[in-house]
Amino acid sequence: MTVKLLIVPFFALALALVSCGDNPEEQKNQELIDGLDSTAAMSDTNHIAQDDEVTYNLPSALQIAYVFKKSGATFIPSLLNKKDNSSKYNTSNYKRAVNFGIYSADLAYCLFNKKYQESKEYLKSCKEMGSYLGLNQAFESDNMAQRFDKNITIEDSVVKIVSNVQLKTDIMFEQNKQKHITVVAFAGAWTESMYIASEVYAKDKNKKVLASLLEQMLLSETIIKALKNHQSAETELPALVAEVTKINTQFNAIASVKTAIEKDEEMDFNTMTVTDGELKSITELIKTLRAGMVE
Amino acid sequence: MAFQGGDILCNAKELKEKAKNSLDPYKYDSSELTRIFYKKKESLKEVEVPLFIGEKYRIVFELEALPKQVEVQVYNKNKESKNRKLLFTSKSIGADKKEFSFEISKTRHVYVDYIIPPSEEGSYSGCAVFMVGYK
Repeated sequence: MTVKLLIVPFFALALALVSCGDNPEEQKNQELIDGLDSTAAMSDTNHIAQDDEVTYNLPSALQIAYVFKKSGATFIPSLLNKKDNSSKYNTSNYKRAVNFGIYSADLAYCLFNKKYQESKEYLKSCKEMGSYLGLNQAFESDNMAQRFDKNITIEDSVVKIVSNVQLKTDIMFEQNKQKHITVVAFAGAWTESMYIASEVYAKDKNKKVLASLLEQMLLSETIIKALKNHQSAETELPALVAEVTKINTQFNAIASVKTAIEKDEEMDFNTMTVTDGELKSITELIKTLRAGMVE
Repeated sequence: MAFQGGDILCNAKELKEKAKNSLDPYKYDSSELTRIFYKKKESLKEVEVPLFIGEKYRIVFELEALPKQVEVQVYNKNKESKNRKLLFTSKSIGADKKEFSFEISKTRHVYVDYIIPPSEEGSYSGCAVFMVGYK
């Protein structure tokens, strides 16, 4: 009897510990939510007037590259967009923004592969594209270039410096009322990251790289919705939405993805199967999209 | 922060830099400034935040530029979903707090809902900022 009484609380405690995860902050959140009135915790917001326009907060190129690097992806310098191309993109807001994103992704790819000299050069390309978008201040404040040079071999420090530039550019886009430029730039960064991931996977056949590529593809849905919010801001945006939609449609047509969507299951790309044919149709679309952006 | 015709001026730089101070040791990823308009009825404004499933995040909220406190609720699914789960609510940390944060991992999306209380006299606005950091 004593044993039974002890076993039940032990299992209850073990279950509680497992379900709360290993992060004390997350555990604290959950405890606080559990402590609320149950109707509040399962809050039904149907009675509240809904604001139809949902907004989207997109991740940075730096974070995509950080996650991608953790998959064990190798560095292939020939995949980067040529630095000399930057001057030819000063033709429209769309070209400037999308290639600002592309160079940001290239910079992040170099940075997390410890290619510091290349990082410095791609930071310069970002700065040049940024100047076309009115972002000079973001790249010139706080002696950014000097600090970058001084810390060039310390990954954590240069990542912080670049993150800080990202924050400053986000603030400037906000102040200049150019929110749509942020979304277009992210679409460029995302396309470049997917292009790099698909080419690296084609060469190395590393399953973790494939999982990371598929994870990135999931972002297509949010990008489409975010672009649609600003569709009238630049003439090129409807075509961009159409191209990203094609990628999203092909991704959702992958048999294992389709099954997961139908069953409303969380996708685990480390265990899901994707055929070469399914992947090829998507990578071709990525290549076409990227080629149109950098031409 | 100055009042102007019932509205609070939103200084993106000031608000985001303040939020950044609470992000450490997480690295800056992104941030969102949301215009909050107070209407006659309680209303809701939603921001979708895509995340990477294996990563650890801190989300910092800076609500100093709001004339009247809003409730922040964070869910795993959007406002249209019937079976969404509440992951965080500002109710749990005290209704008058202007700056707070929470940490989250093992999820691909969060939906930040601002529950905007009704305005008693006229219409006015302010803004709310959140910042996402990753480790």
